[in-house]
Amino acid sequence: MNNKGFEFSFAWIFAIIVGAVVIFLAIYTTTSLIGNSRYESDTKIAAQLQSILSPIETNLEEGKSIVLGFSDETRIYNECRNFGTFGEQKLSTATKSGIGKEWMEPGVAAKSSNKYIFSSKILQGKEIYVFVKPLKMPYKVADMMFMYTGKYCFVNPPNDIEEEINDLQLPGITINNSENCPLGSRKVCFSSSGCDIDVRFNVEDDSSGSVVKKEGTVRYESGLIYGAIFSDFDVYGCQVERLMKRNSELAQLYAAKTNFLSGEGCSSNLAGDLISYSDSLKEADSGKLSFIKLLSDGLKEKNDRLNCKLF
Amino acid sequence: MTDSIVNYSKGQIKIQQMAFVLVAIMIFFAIVALFYISVRSASLKGDVNVLREDEARESVKKISGSPEFAWSITDCASCVDLDKIMVLKNRTSYQRFFDFPFLQIEKIYPKSEGECTKQNYPDCRTITLIKENNYIAHSAFVALCRYDAVFGSKCELGKINIGFRSAG
Repeated sequence: MNNKGFEFSFAWIFAIIVGAVVIFLAIYTTTSLIGNSRYESDTKIAAQLQSILSPIETNLEEGKSIVLGFSDETRIYNECRNFGTFGEQKLSTATKSGIGKEWMEPGVAAKSSNKYIFSSKILQGKEIYVFVKPLKMPYKVADMMFMYTGKYCFVNPPNDIEEEINDLQLPGITINNSENCPLGSRKVCFSSSGCDIDVRFNVEDDSSGSVVKKEGTVRYESGLIYGAIFSDFDVYGCQVERLMKRNSELAQLYAAKTNFLSGEGCSSNLAGDLISYSDSLKEADSGKLSFIKLLSDGLKEKNDRLNCKLF
Repeated sequence: MTDSIVNYSKGQIKIQQMAFVLVAIMIFFAIVALFYISVRSASLKGDVNVLREDEARESVKKISGSPEFAWSITDCASCVDLDKIMVLKNRTSYQRFFDFPFLQIEKIYPKSEGECTKQNYPDCRTITLIKENNYIAHSAFVALCRYDAVFGSKCELGKINIGFRSAG
């Protein structure tokens, strides 16, 4: 009878320990490499997104729209920061993955001082819809970009909004009466209330008013109505403040231009108005939009009367 | 005098062999990792350059429409307001607004020379808004429009040059 058992020699113990260390290192390296490559890919997507959004800015057009298609379910993080002279727009992305964590932290954000994106803080989908409209107060201030996903049902909108949506062929938005809205769509009421989002027009001027959601109420002027509908209110507020800051700098630029041209025989006498307009805009927020619009209309009227127009 | 002869047992030799193999494996993996990292970082630099170049190319096409540049007195898609740009040159608040290492407006025709100043404007060739080192430039042709005491407004042929930073 052979009583000799299995001899667990030092060589075996050594091989098992070293093998375990090598396997652990291999798994750890592979996992962190996958994580890094996801982070890198998300960073690249955000930078590409930034480049894609440039060509859709407007020149003479009143609006443009595109559909952003992604190969996998993607989250876009919209962060608006209101500091300094112009504030900052940050866009970052995260892609859904079947390996490891389903959603990782977003990659490095693409930053920009001259983009104004109105959307919820996190947008998720394989298709994201974007449309652009210029903000004119009274000159062009910037292009406002509106991003949304999913379905919206606009209930009895005014003719100009209906025409604009049809002209831009905005996907995911249907125009209907309240009863026939598609299932799962967010209802936006224009002449009634009780929807997910209610739009209340000013009595004397239907290009301005307020938008009511569960999170509160905000004021809007002209194209900013879409910002109020599609954005989270803190994103909306931040972007409006950034737009007003840029408007303030532009007013100073035009004031400097009129002084510069006065030596050439093109005096407009608008410098004083533009400087006081710029001062009013510096700390303006969405609550002061009606007042800003009033000042802007006054400037437009004065500029239109000039022989040597400033803008 | 004594000879020192070291005798190894078979087991000790095996352990030594294993240790050498392990060291060799670790060196091999380290070389593979270094090779992988250098290839990855080269491709990453390439990607960064491509992305920056794309952005510069798109920006050069669209910058004429930005409110700081656009000629808004008549409807003209690729017209820039030279008077406004001349004023913009001296505004410190815009220094970090355009995120390019190089941004210049250049008059092509009629021919003139020199950087624009208040003294020689509009008889000058370039208005340089930003100029840092190490950039690769892209250009787009535009119409440079300005107020003219005789013609009311006057447009001349020019181009916008935008540089992007190279990742090295």
